[in-house]
Amino acid sequence: MAGKTKIPVTILTGFLGSGKTTLLNRILSDEHGKRIAVIENEYGEVGIDQGLVINADEEVFEMSNGCICCTVRGDLIRVLGNLMKRRDKFDYVLVETTGLADPGPVAQTFFMDDEIRDEFSLDGIVTLVDAAHIDQQLGRSDESSEQIAFADVLILNKVDLVPSDKLDMLEARLRDMNRMARVLRCRQADVSVDTVLNLSAFDLDQVLQRRPTFLEPEYPFEWTGVYKLEQGRYELTLQEGPDPFMSMVAMTDQGFDEEGLIEGAEACVRLYAEPAECLLPGSNIQFGKHVSLQLQSEGHKSFFIEVDRPTNLGLFTQHTAEEFNIQVIELGCIAGGVDKDNDCAISPEKERVWVAQHEHDDEVGSIAIECFGNVDPAKLNTWLGKLLAEKGVDIFRMKGYLSFAEESRRIVFQGVHMLFTSQPDREWGDEVRRNQLVFIGRNLDEASLRSEFDKCLI
Amino acid sequence: MPDLNSLSSRGMLHESWTSQVDDYAIVCGWILKGDALLVGDAAGGLNTFEGKSGKDMWKKKEVHEGGLLAMSIHPEGHIFATAGQDGNVKIWKAKEGEQRKIIELGKGWVEHLAWSPDGTLLAVAFLRRVFVFHEDGKEHWHSDEHQSTVSAIAWSSSNELATACYGQVTFFDVVSGQVNQKLKWKGSLISMALSPDGDIVACGSQDNSVHFWRRSTNQDSEMTGYQVKPSQLAFDQAGKVLATGGSEVVTVWSFQGDGPEGTIPGQLFLHTVPISALSFSHHGMLLASGARDGSVYVWFLQNDGNGNPVGGAFMEDFIGTIAWKPDDSALAAVNAKGVINVWDFKLRTKTSSKGFG
Repeated sequence: MAGKTKIPVTILTGFLGSGKTTLLNRILSDEHGKRIAVIENEYGEVGIDQGLVINADEEVFEMSNGCICCTVRGDLIRVLGNLMKRRDKFDYVLVETTGLADPGPVAQTFFMDDEIRDEFSLDGIVTLVDAAHIDQQLGRSDESSEQIAFADVLILNKVDLVPSDKLDMLEARLRDMNRMARVLRCRQADVSVDTVLNLSAFDLDQVLQRRPTFLEPEYPFEWTGVYKLEQGRYELTLQEGPDPFMSMVAMTDQGFDEEGLIEGAEACVRLYAEPAECLLPGSNIQFGKHVSLQLQSEGHKSFFIEVDRPTNLGLFTQHTAEEFNIQVIELGCIAGGVDKDNDCAISPEKERVWVAQHEHDDEVGSIAIECFGNVDPAKLNTWLGKLLAEKGVDIFRMKGYLSFAEESRRIVFQGVHMLFTSQPDREWGDEVRRNQLVFIGRNLDEASLRSEFDKCLI
Repeated sequence: MPDLNSLSSRGMLHESWTSQVDDYAIVCGWILKGDALLVGDAAGGLNTFEGKSGKDMWKKKEVHEGGLLAMSIHPEGHIFATAGQDGNVKIWKAKEGEQRKIIELGKGWVEHLAWSPDGTLLAVAFLRRVFVFHEDGKEHWHSDEHQSTVSAIAWSSSNELATACYGQVTFFDVVSGQVNQKLKWKGSLISMALSPDGDIVACGSQDNSVHFWRRSTNQDSEMTGYQVKPSQLAFDQAGKVLATGGSEVVTVWSFQGDGPEGTIPGQLFLHTVPISALSFSHHGMLLASGARDGSVYVWFLQNDGNGNPVGGAFMEDFIGTIAWKPDDSALAAVNAKGVINVWDFKLRTKTSSKGFG
């Protein structure tokens, strides 16, 4: 049995009316060369004449230990247990769930049952969202937010029925709940079959390629500019912008490289946590202090910076420089008779945009952790064991990769509630060793997850 | 004493014949009083072989559209029933393979079949109901809907049928249609075996445990610690022990004395991957076990559940079923590659070897 390739399985979820049947029929009629066995739970909805459509009653079985993470779909175990004896007939499985289904038991079935685990691998969870109704649905039921949270792909369907600004807000809301999923917009469930099948959705690299910033922590500032300044007096000018005030921290001896920038950012996060000192235009800006620039007056505003020795000054601002047209101007500069107001404006040596913090309205959200270095497997196991035992119910999905000092390959893992699997994948080679984890769940404590994971590092 | 026991008998598996069917072989059984072996494959093929020579007899293809799911041979061995993904049950003449009856139950899988011990009734599990038919295909009785799909059925006598589903075992009097007894337990029951006297009910559960009930005393207990779900359960003909799968070790619970509660079960170690088939001989304490890698062993068991291997063979892939010939003189096994192996089985006892002296 060793070396046998596992049959990939896609789970299709979504509320009633979200377009699951339309998508299913589209997948089955598309010329993709795959022979797909469909297990559907809403009788007789598939209109296509397709050889392997199996109806199964959604039978969710809890175990006597009462643990929701051990809850499985009994009908799927039976159906797949028989189907695996007919492997020559199909090479892909698609499981459609009813609109009100909690995706947990379906996904857990592929971890909990040893025979199913040996023969099938969960390729991805695709959730269809009715763009016109999901806002109300999210308020009304836990299942809809769980279907969002579990998804590897979120298909925002019926976008023609919703104005585009509302769609943007909706997409932002969905991304807040699930930072790991790919979001696609479409009408009449018209998406390419490639975006739904054979995702290898658990491969985090793919997610990173699509959205390189998704693992970054959020900062209370959006922009950093690092300026190389000689001793002297400088003017910071701002034009009209989106806010009547703006928080800022100015840091001396700021590094230019990524490591230095992150170090500065971390220091600024702590400073940002302190109450801000309000500064009116015309005031001097102090270094290493959280200040709030008061920008209520109309037009051009100026603040001043005194530099008593040459330094690299980092400005960490709540908004981007572009939004206020922020400029640093050297005063008293005489530059060959050319108009000083323009020519003495100093360009930053380095600029960096950060993922901005914002309010999270939904209980369901995602947390991403990225750390350089190696993890101690024993400490990690102890922590994860404890975490999943205590919080497994609230952690819907978990995936990522880890670096162990003793292992030349990356360890990739994924989990559903308290079940998880891990295995080595590609060689690290010359790449800098690092770890990435994503948790999606309900009411997750980000600070504690971060600090506990930090303790697992060597 | 154990030493004496292990020396008192020696058996051997002598390769008799081997053959091949076209698809994944899932079930096999002896028909016509052991004169022929019947093999069903996942694609719905039926194949019969002469018991002694292995020569092909009759053959059928795709008797159930979508595939075969269950087969049950009549206790007399002259007819048998099959069921499949097409929602049908078919009754066949064993000798010629002539289809005698077709029972159409509707859209859905028919997953379990069982002839009553006296052979007058055929029990059929279809979705959440169980149906009982006469040999001629006429419906005798059917149950109401269970709370989930029926996962196992077994006759406790010729007029009492047991069903297992999520959360309970139910005993039906199929003459009156009454429910005789309900045994409840919150768990997904996936397999069931009844002791020959019908008092002990054993069920394998999805959460890697075996649950027992004693019908006479209403006592129940749970045996945990299995590595995988224990789908394979087999009582010996006298009801002394219950052999269970659920790991690469065959775990044998003894019902001697106060057991099995609070006792250490017998453990049969030789397989290296989980057990996939278990079958007791018709007489005596011989157990045949098959595993997912195709290994097959025969064990001579003691009353305490421990035992010694008396023969072994390898068949390269997942063993679906093992079937002893009615007189225990041969053993048949089928695997996932469609291979059929039949071994002549000889058990030499001390008495018989003395007979030659």
